[in-house]
Amino acid sequence: MNSSHLNPSSSLKSRFTTRFLRALTRINARKPISPSSPREIFQRYRRIKVAADKSMASSVRSRRTWSRATLWKLRSRSCLQLASLGRRRSVKTSTITSRQAIMKKTSHEIENKTTTEEDHQDRFVGQADKLRELVPGGEAMDLCNLLDETAHYIKCLTTQVQLMRKIVDFYSL
Amino acid sequence: MEKDMVFMHEGLDRTAAEQPTWSSSSLGMEMQTNELNCAIEQVGSCFFNLNWDNSMDQSDRFKSALSSMVSSPAASNAGSALPASGDNVMIRELIGRLGNICNSGDISPQSFIKPNNNTHSSNTSYYTTPLNSPPKLSLSMMDSQIRGSLNVPGLGNQLPNHPSLAPFSTDPGFAERAARFSCFSSSRNRLGLTEAEFSQRLVPTMDSVKLSSHQSIKVTGSQANAPESNNNSQQERNFGFDKKISMLTRSSSPENAEFGDSKEESSVSEQIPGGALGNSSIKSQSHANARKRKSIPRGKAKETPSTAAAEAKVAAQNDESTAKRGKQDGAAANAKEKTEQNGNSKAANDGNQKPSNENSKPSEPPKDYIHVRARRGQATDSHSLAERVRREKISERMKFLQDLVPGCNKVIGKAVMLDEIINYVQSLQRQVEFLSMKLSSVNPRMDINMEALLSKDIFQSLGSLPHALSSMDSSTPAFPFRYQPQQGLPLNSGISNNIETQFSMNPLNAALHKTHGLQLPPIDGFTDASPQVASIWEDDLQSIVQMGFGQNQTQSYQGSKAVGQVKIEL
Repeated sequence: MNSSHLNPSSSLKSRFTTRFLRALTRINARKPISPSSPREIFQRYRRIKVAADKSMASSVRSRRTWSRATLWKLRSRSCLQLASLGRRRSVKTSTITSRQAIMKKTSHEIENKTTTEEDHQDRFVGQADKLRELVPGGEAMDLCNLLDETAHYIKCLTTQVQLMRKIVDFYSL
Repeated sequence: MEKDMVFMHEGLDRTAAEQPTWSSSSLGMEMQTNELNCAIEQVGSCFFNLNWDNSMDQSDRFKSALSSMVSSPAASNAGSALPASGDNVMIRELIGRLGNICNSGDISPQSFIKPNNNTHSSNTSYYTTPLNSPPKLSLSMMDSQIRGSLNVPGLGNQLPNHPSLAPFSTDPGFAERAARFSCFSSSRNRLGLTEAEFSQRLVPTMDSVKLSSHQSIKVTGSQANAPESNNNSQQERNFGFDKKISMLTRSSSPENAEFGDSKEESSVSEQIPGGALGNSSIKSQSHANARKRKSIPRGKAKETPSTAAAEAKVAAQNDESTAKRGKQDGAAANAKEKTEQNGNSKAANDGNQKPSNENSKPSEPPKDYIHVRARRGQATDSHSLAERVRREKISERMKFLQDLVPGCNKVIGKAVMLDEIINYVQSLQRQVEFLSMKLSSVNPRMDINMEALLSKDIFQSLGSLPHALSSMDSSTPAFPFRYQPQQGLPLNSGISNNIETQFSMNPLNAALHKTHGLQLPPIDGFTDASPQVASIWEDDLQSIVQMGFGQNQTQSYQGSKAVGQVKIEL
């Protein structure tokens, strides 16, 4: 952690922190606060969560599938919010169909796997599906790359959690 | 000459009984002279008799054999008609490369030229230098021998090739290649290939080595003449060993700039530059993804500074140790048929197993494919090979994930591991949500400048920050901050209850209270009293995190107990 302080411009932590704090200030500045309303708070929560995810994905750039998927999701979501209702529907359906196509491919792979391996592998494969849901962008990947992405994703998530925790603690002074 | 190489390599693997069969098993090329044959047999016997332990004896014997070998070509040069100039060129360059590998800069290209101009005495002196560097001895001997044999005949042709050798001499990766050659031969034994096959294949391997270096990006200009001949000869000989060598050459390719994304060490065999034995220059092999393999063969080479011939013998003993390394070599496609063209047949055999691998390297114009080799005693079906490679990759990654996810060390088995991983990812995501919720409720109070925040050592631990916490509000709903799946975050109601009172520690503390109420009853009083509840909370959260992974409750309990003294360290 100290090393990142010494060289703040390069590490994932520093990148994430700068972006996230910038987003936080923006969110804070946007709303002259009416904190009592739970809805407001909820909205802020959503925004902050989005900001956290986005800043983390931006720190990783597009080097990773999950970061690309996250950024894509966030951007499409913002597009959806701006778009009209009709357009929203079409975008959603296209998303769904592409997802289905991707799922078909992965299910085919899974099928190959189950025919050649045991029941234990079936369970394994089922869990892999779960993992695919968890990791953004994981639907389109075979197991090998999925595990890669998961490892990197876990690393980034832990970083994110640590830094956010520190920010919270700092704020709650 | 190719024949020399062939016989040398044959000598690598043959037993004493089989030695007489060399001449019969020649690849159809004529022996230049009987004298040469004798010299070669001498060399072969030298190779053969070498074992890893008697490096110096062997090297002496080898030296004498090599000198005799060198002298014989010199004598026979006048009358001999070399089979093909192209072969000469190939072999010469191969030798050059080998020599450079072995000496990795110890011997300048000029020294290579020396044998050309001088007699075998210079060759002998050249031999002495590699002796001083045992790891490179194996190939340097061979190299110098071959070079000696070739240099004399090919005086005129050789000089243009020397500039091409210059880059190799400085290539640190050549030593590794030498090591890898040893690994190569050892892995060959594991594969259960016959020695004849091996010897036959080693030659094209050498050619492919040359070919790969030819095709390397950095060594293009001076070798323009070579590739054509190499290509031709390679196509003539359709040996499966091309794959082996390509495997070796490609294993290092990940370091190529083109494969910037393939930096993970796990993806060893995938980083094959494709096409004709890889764009990976021999230099790039030094950065191989196969770092594990790199260290192991090198270690082997260091222990046993004999030639590659001896390595083959020792390989049988080292089967078990190399089995793991062989993993990185992959499971080779079974037969020679696969290596028709670099990757076409392989792609077909791999089928849909490796489409992602090939697609992942779009920048490589030649097709990228994975070389795998069947292990000894295992099915050599292409599908099962590909399956095995895939499984190995997956297990590699699972091991890596095991290190990442806390508490997974005890778990063995992919299914349980995956469960843990899934739980961990879910918990991390929930933590992020939770913290963002926390932030959303904290923020109204904050006036701190962001720059000030950044300039402060936010990266350091915040253990010194005291936290004033309100009394716990047990009316708040249970905060689902556990790994065991619970209901979603009921944050809205929780927050609204507490927003007027104290800050968001309340729901957290309540959740903590409830959580600990379930598992760690004595903590309640602890959290109520201590002004360091935040630290307790942090540590408890972490302990909760750990609890989700099967660590016993006493452990987390103790962790929480010690919270009073423990500062927050993040």
